[in-house]
Amino acid sequence: MKKSSLFASASMLGLGLLMSVAGVSQADAAANCIKGDRKAPYTLGWANIYSVPTWMKQTQGTIEAEVEQLKKEGLVDKLVVTDAQGDANVQIQQIQSMIDADVDAIILIAGSSTAPARVLADACAKGIAIINFDSLVDTNDVTAKVNTDSNQWGEQATKFMIDALGGKGKIIILNGPAGVSVSDDRRAGGDALLKANPDIQILAETNTAYNVAPAQEAVTSLLFANPEIDGILSFGGALSAGAVLALDKQGREQVPITGENARQFLELWKEKGLKSWATMQPNWLGAFAAYTAVQALEGKDVPAFVKIPLPVIDNSNIDEYLARAKDFPADGYIYSPYDRELFAKLLAQK
Amino acid sequence: MSNASLSAPGRGNALYWAIQAKRNIGVRSLFLVVLAFMVAYGFLFHGLFTGTGFAKFTQSWFPLALVAMAQAILMLTGGISLAIGALVSLGAVIAATTMTGPLGVAGGAAVVGIVGLGIGAATGLIVVKLRLPAIVVTLAGSFIIAGAALLVLPRPGGAMPDWLSNLLAGNTPAAFAVLVVIVLLWKLYLATPLGLSLYAAGENPVGAYRSGVPVDAARIAAYAISGLLCTGAGLFVAAQTGSGDPIIGTSFTLNSIAAAVLGGIGFLGGQGTMRGALAGSLLLSLMISVMFFLGFTPVAQYVAQGLIIIGAVAIPQFRMRAR
Repeated sequence: MKKSSLFASASMLGLGLLMSVAGVSQADAAANCIKGDRKAPYTLGWANIYSVPTWMKQTQGTIEAEVEQLKKEGLVDKLVVTDAQGDANVQIQQIQSMIDADVDAIILIAGSSTAPARVLADACAKGIAIINFDSLVDTNDVTAKVNTDSNQWGEQATKFMIDALGGKGKIIILNGPAGVSVSDDRRAGGDALLKANPDIQILAETNTAYNVAPAQEAVTSLLFANPEIDGILSFGGALSAGAVLALDKQGREQVPITGENARQFLELWKEKGLKSWATMQPNWLGAFAAYTAVQALEGKDVPAFVKIPLPVIDNSNIDEYLARAKDFPADGYIYSPYDRELFAKLLAQK
Repeated sequence: MSNASLSAPGRGNALYWAIQAKRNIGVRSLFLVVLAFMVAYGFLFHGLFTGTGFAKFTQSWFPLALVAMAQAILMLTGGISLAIGALVSLGAVIAATTMTGPLGVAGGAAVVGIVGLGIGAATGLIVVKLRLPAIVVTLAGSFIIAGAALLVLPRPGGAMPDWLSNLLAGNTPAAFAVLVVIVLLWKLYLATPLGLSLYAAGENPVGAYRSGVPVDAARIAAYAISGLLCTGAGLFVAAQTGSGDPIIGTSFTLNSIAAAVLGGIGFLGGQGTMRGALAGSLLLSLMISVMFFLGFTPVAQYVAQGLIIIGAVAIPQFRMRAR
């Protein structure tokens, strides 16, 4: 959802400029949207787009843990949570309700990259800190946006695969659903490297939902069609787990494979002794967003965009991840460890 | 309840109001529930009684009210549409791509209107003249329309003129005023020959046809009006959000059916009133805000929503049976 047309970005920028001209005055040092008239303890609003998937539940878990910590420090007294059940219109109404209830900060995973622009402009004009992470909005009327880089995800995964095969071999590529920006961006990130290495032959590509069963099914049929596969370039953790299971069921030898921090995949990785590489969209982006909101409200300068470096899992550190596996749901994601020190460092980067 | 023909004023005010009261019986408990929610909302959020608060609340409700009407018209004729959401999306992306271009606001609005009327009328013609089930035709239609919306605007984007956004979805209750006008137009439509035929065509098409009621024309007109309401809702959503999103309308399909059924509109045609459908949509919209202010967790909201909907539908049924 990040790559919207230039036209829209330009017009959003125009809207943003107009708003600031219209009298949203702010001190130079303070972060965007912050007026300095809000005092601790703060009320945080967490405007979720959809709470059912395990990734979302784990993310909410990190937010709640961070808020507990902030409560102890006397900085936060309340967390209000909304779930738009996937409906961008409902999310707008819920953000409006948060403005009506005069929360001090809104942390947001957006259901649409464009739709919340006007309601966020209203919130920003009222001095509410807005931290947007994971699914980002196009508007600049937010305090900060926080995300990893999906292009980089794809590039690093592709680089691992090319190196693992010594620059020559036959691969299949597993993508997430077509038309979804994360899926498109990860694939696009690897494209240049694949073009530069013509000896890497792409036998087939799949598009499936980010779930184990459909990926396993798709890879199983590809295995019948292709007796020789040297590597599997997967752009999703559940997809990788499905591929490993498919190879296993067919009695085929495991091949180098990329993936994500899905617990099931990491356990298969260890069990089958794979040569693999994985990264993640860390769930603690939620905790970091809550922390950043409070920092901004406290008058700290916060960068408009915080790029989170992708944590890497490979054969050297997989055991550290698996050692913590029991703390995570069986269908969940084992995210990298985080603490305040890491958060402070991320906020300090320019 | 095919007594819409009697509801035209002129036969004496007493009779008119007596009939209106009778038509309200099925939705009286819904009105009470809506009223209770309104009071609760006003109690929880005092800003509701300011101009801005009222404006913002009615803006959240407005598109749902329009699609509830769009669905109700069809259900009154014994039809249904699964393409409501896709039409809203199409209306939104057309508005967001034309209104800042050479066509301007008037031209863009005209295109939105013509597309809505045209697609609605075409759907109506296929359903009525080819005698195909509405649910199948509109399901297939929803894929075509959703595809068209993605062709117009593959990714969220586009733009709306600022003044239009501020006019329709700013700090004035303009959206509410538009809704009042639309409801008055609906009342006027019910007094025209086609409008009078609407209930008859839905409740007993064969009987109505033999009595000389233009059944086919009434049903096709209903589809056309329904289409217009949907793309109009899309135009409003584009103004409200300041941009177009090709999948923004998806959830309106189910919500429009929920609002209509909640409002006492029957699936078999000819049963129910527009005021019921509007109250149903108002309740759906109110629930979201009230539960937020009550501090319900998302999980509790899922459960409460289901219970309220079942309650509002089941209670009048029980009372009817007890009678």
